[in-house]
This record gives sequence, structure tokens and C-alpha cells, in this order.
Amino acid sequence: MFKVFQLVIDWSEVWALLIPISLLLLKKQPAVLKPVVFYVWIALFINLAIDLTWKIRTILPAEYNSNNYLYNLHSIIRFFLFSLFFIKLNQAFLTTVKKVIPVCFLVFVIINFTFYENFFDYWKLSSRLLSVEAILLLFYTLQYYLFKINDHVGVNIFNSDFWIVTGLGIYVTINFFIFLLYNELTIRMQHFAITLWNAHNISYIIFNLFIAKGFYESRKQ
Amino acid sequence: MNQGSNDIRLLLVVGIAAMLMLFISLLLIFIFTQRKKLQYQNELQAMQNAQKNQLIEAAVRSEEIERHRIAEELHDEVGAILGASSLHFNSVRIEEPDESNQSLYQKGKDLLDEGINKIRGLSHSLHSSILQEFGLNEAISHFCSKISHESIIEISVTLDNSYPTQVGQNDISIYRIVQEFIHNITKHAKATKIFVRSIYLNKTLMITITHNGKGLTQPHFEELMFKKNGLGLKNIQNRIILLKADLKFSHHAGGYAIDISVPID
Repeated sequence: MFKVFQLVIDWSEVWALLIPISLLLLKKQPAVLKPVVFYVWIALFINLAIDLTWKIRTILPAEYNSNNYLYNLHSIIRFFLFSLFFIKLNQAFLTTVKKVIPVCFLVFVIINFTFYENFFDYWKLSSRLLSVEAILLLFYTLQYYLFKINDHVGVNIFNSDFWIVTGLGIYVTINFFIFLLYNELTIRMQHFAITLWNAHNISYIIFNLFIAKGFYESRKQ
Repeated sequence: MNQGSNDIRLLLVVGIAAMLMLFISLLLIFIFTQRKKLQYQNELQAMQNAQKNQLIEAAVRSEEIERHRIAEELHDEVGAILGASSLHFNSVRIEEPDESNQSLYQKGKDLLDEGINKIRGLSHSLHSSILQEFGLNEAISHFCSKISHESIIEISVTLDNSYPTQVGQNDISIYRIVQEFIHNITKHAKATKIFVRSIYLNKTLMITITHNGKGLTQPHFEELMFKKNGLGLKNIQNRIILLKADLKFSHHAGGYAIDISVPID
């Protein structure tokens, strides 16, 4: 029973994405949600590659059996697509800051992987990259709520962007400390680090459920 | 080593818990404030609607009072003067051989009688005494029979007899709506056959007017209502709001239909 549960959790980064994707097949989403639509498709392929690499690592050649660089790639793509999503929401609040953040993040990525870390590090994913991404996305979600609190309320509070932003907020809130300490944990407590990744996977399922709810709500708007 | 691992584990748990608590608090504040704002907006909207309805009611009521006043003036003042004139006119004696004067006298008498009849008709139309005395069904039937003319337009009326004959406060508005629609159908739709039917069920009066002319559809009605010259339709819409009624236009194979559904208190 536990093995089945573990298998389901291990593959959750792939099957969880199929929930919002199944809604995408039913109806075209509005232009404002396009970055999220792109994200779920790209994430599906990256996560499939991540899980396949992990599951068949023993039969892959040694130089190709690490999936850490795919996590780095996923993090960069997720950040830029969600930045675009927040910019496209057209909220007249901290507009310049929201446009400057992706540029700063790009500079950070270039400097970090040029001087400090190796993007294709075999042994570890970049805790620095993932935690910076998480804190910046958390900033985006918080500024979304602050804007909405001061804005005129619409007929429906729980619209599609609310669900997507809330899902993202929950995901980055749970994972900020996991990402921040993950490199340290893999060195000191490798078994605990692998178990802890289940928490990440569960939060990722929640995130996808919220995205699916967002896609579903957009059909009513 | 072990102490360091425990510290990291503690930091991780406390960090995640603190972040989650902060995030959930903010989310709850957000939802609470949004709900409050939405509730306030709904209340404001309800107040505005109530105010608008009061204005419409005042306008409709004052229109009815004015109609009543003009009808009374016409009936009691002008009608009485014309009636007295007719009496005096009838007292005038014209000598038999004077044929030209005889014909002028007859013409004048006919015109005076016609004037009296017109004033009476106008007075009754402005203030429906039939409605006041016999109720809505009788007023609609009487109005339709007046308009109906075998060779030009045929109006059939089937009204639900269970509707109370005692005049309700909304009956005048219902009557005016039917009156305006039938006027519009005869004037604009060029119909030759009109059928007025009513059903009174579960404290709701449903009136359906069908005709074979060139009628209105729902989008067409909404478009016309906002035009400057659509005063009649605006009056209908105001009365519909006042009655909290539903109005629907439709087009079927047999012709056009207007469905009015009025809740009766």
C-alpha cells in the first residue's frame, strides 16, 4: 500500500499537470491566462523528463542520469511565465517593479551560473535559484492581493486569476524553505531530503488543482 | 553533526509553518475585505434600485393623477358646456321653408353631437371608469372591442375569470401596458389579427398578446427602448419595473408574441 502511495506521489509532478490540461482540451482560455497555459504544457514535458530520468537512472549512461539541471530549467521557465502572467493582469500597482523583476532575475541567473554555480551540476539542484524564484513569485502573489484589497471589487471575488495566484502562493510558501535548505539537507540528511520532496510533490498537486479551478472559472467569465 | 541536522530540521519546520501562517492570514484578510466590499456594493446597488423604483412610481402615479384631472376637466367642464350648448341648440326653431338654414342647423347639430361624443370618449380613455367600476378584465375587453373593427382589425379576447374584479393598485398599470401594446400593434405592426389571453395562477397574472403583424423581438425592443422617440416603450418599461413584472418578446411561426407576467400581491 505504501509503495503504491509512494509511486503515485513520485509521479505526481506529471499526472497533476494532466488535471489543468484536461480542462484546456475542453475550452480555449482567455489571452490573460496564456502564460499559465504555456506553463502547464512545458512543465508536463520537463517533469516527464525529470521523473523518467529518476526512474531509469540505473540504466542511463552516468553523464545523463541526473535530473537536477531540469529542475533549474523548470524554475527559470516557471518564473518568466508567471512574471508575464502577473504583468498581463494589468493591475495598476507596482507596474515598473513588476517589469524590472524579470530583468533582475535574468541578471541573477547569468551571474550565478557564470561565477558561482554550475547549471548542469550532477549532484545537486540550485537551492539558490529555486529559493530566489520562490520568494520573487511570493512577492508577486502578495502584491496581487494588496492591489485587489484596494481595488473596486468585481461581481465574483473568486475569479480565474484569484485561483491561479492562490495556488502559486501556497506552492511557493510551502517550498521556499525546502528549496532554500535542500542542498544542505542532501549533504547532511539525504534520506530525509528525499522524503521531504514528497511535501513538495503534494504542494505541487495542490498548485495544479488551483490552476485547474482557475481554468474552469475562466469558462464562466 | 547531529545537532546541526536537528537545527536545520527545526528551521525548516518553523520556516514552513511561519510562512504558511502568514500566507493564510493574508488570504483570509483578503477574502474578508473583499466580501465586505461586495456586500457594501450590493447594499448600495439595492438602495439605488429602490430609489430609482420610487422615482418611477412617483412619475407613473403623477401621470395617472394628471390624466384623471384632465379627464375630469373634459367631462365636467367642457362636456357640461357642450351639453348645455346642445340643449340650447335644440331649442332654436328654424322655419320650414328656409332650406339652406335648415341644412346649416343640422350640420352644426351633428358637429356638436360629435364633439360631445369625442370629449366623452377622450375622457373615458384618459381615466378608465370601466376599470374603476368593473375591473381589469372588463376594461381590457371593452378597450379591445372599441379598437376592433371587422374589416380592418380583429381582436379576440380570452381572459381568466378567476382574476379579481375588485380593482388592485397595479391594475391601472397593467391596463395601460395592454393599451399601449395594442396601440403599437395597430399603428406600427400593421396586424390584422390580435389575440389577447390571460391566465391567473399562483398569484401571477400572465397576459399574452399575439398578432400576425410585423412585431418586435427581444433585442429589437431593448434597442428601441433607448431611442429618444420610444416614449411609449419607455413608459411600458417603467411600469414593468414598477410592477416587478417580466416582459418577453418572441417570434413563432404563427406570428409575434408578447408575454407579460405580473406578480399580484
